[in-house]
Amino acid sequence: MSVLRPLDKQPGLNTATILLVGTEDALLQQLADSMLKEDCASELRVHLARSLPLPSSVDRPRIDLIVFVVNLHSKYSLRNVEESLRHVDATFFLGKAAFLATGAGRESHCSVHRNTVVKLAHTYRSPLFFCDLEMEGFQATMAQRLVRMLQICAGHVPGVSALNLLSLLRSSETLAPEDL
Amino acid sequence: MEMQPGEHAATESPDSGGGEGRPPQVAGAQEARPEDRLTLLLRLRAQTKQQLLEYKSMLDASEEKTPEQIMQDKQIEAKIEDLENEIEEVKTAFEIKRLALHRMQLSAALKKNLEKINPQTSVLMDNMKHILKLNKLIMKSQQESWDLEEKLLDVRKKRLQLKQASESKLLEIQTEKNKQKDDLAIMENSDKIKTVQQNLQTEIQVTTVIQHVFQNLILGSKANWAEDSAFKEIVLQLEKNLTMIK
Repeated sequence: MSVLRPLDKQPGLNTATILLVGTEDALLQQLADSMLKEDCASELRVHLARSLPLPSSVDRPRIDLIVFVVNLHSKYSLRNVEESLRHVDATFFLGKAAFLATGAGRESHCSVHRNTVVKLAHTYRSPLFFCDLEMEGFQATMAQRLVRMLQICAGHVPGVSALNLLSLLRSSETLAPEDL
Repeated sequence: MEMQPGEHAATESPDSGGGEGRPPQVAGAQEARPEDRLTLLLRLRAQTKQQLLEYKSMLDASEEKTPEQIMQDKQIEAKIEDLENEIEEVKTAFEIKRLALHRMQLSAALKKNLEKINPQTSVLMDNMKHILKLNKLIMKSQQESWDLEEKLLDVRKKRLQLKQASESKLLEIQTEKNKQKDDLAIMENSDKIKTVQQNLQTEIQVTTVIQHVFQNLILGSKANWAEDSAFKEIVLQLEKNLTMIK
């Protein structure tokens, strides 16, 4: 299967799976480690992938949240993410997908403009996070945020659904593209 | 392309509240286990309910037919925004209804409570009286601040009017000055003035010539003009340089 669908498998009991897609292997690995260190009542599974489509030979559980990591220092990572976006089903973008832009701290090294990523996130109606994954403190905070988001997307928090969270996260972001 | 984009191994972290079906790590926590099991079961129940709700809602959503025609980007964007606004409206309506429901429940409970206990001595009555006092204070200060704002607004209006009046007056003064300057310039350049000036020049020259003629006449007659005072006056007057009169 070349297209990822959000609800085609049964959810594992007490399990939440996140898929991190990005070209920066070291950063993704560090982020995965910090996420696993987080104190969470459910079991976490972190999958890392350079790009989609994923090989269908591996037996993997239902993916609850996909985070596309774009490094603002390299145009290749942006292109990679854009390519991978085509292999994701549209129903994922109802709250189960998010974008993460790293490397915004060093303005001189940025070859991808901030607005490009903002427009991309706006087109897909998904939340966009800016986080410098190379700094320890920010990475830990981001890991915490992702863990909470993952719990909600996996349905482990009663009363809040992924779509609900999406509309909660939306209000502060839709202003930005109109200001540009 | 022999190397497909690889997927790295998944890692997992065990449950902190006691793994269900996994061998226990700590052997000496048997008493705490029933507690943990119960909470775990309750949590799993809540989770499963939530997940079931999600699947049901997806099922309901997929029963609606999506329009298959190719729409333009702008139309799709507009439609998406409409749908998002719908979601927001439904959410706010739900929140308002929940708030109203809570308020009704609260007031019903308050009523029951008041019927049971002596209303004069309860802390509740004190609280409510305090609340009423504070509300009165709030209303009074709001009224005061409103009045002050009105006064401020009036003062500002007056200032604006004065500014506008002074602006128009200054404008008038400026136009008047400009008109005067223009008039002066016109006057200086008019032909009438020029001809008058020329006439004046010729008259002066003629008079100067006549003066010189008379001077030479008197000198040539070798008469003694210093003796007679009237004669002296006439001679001195002839000396006056007429070009200096201008």
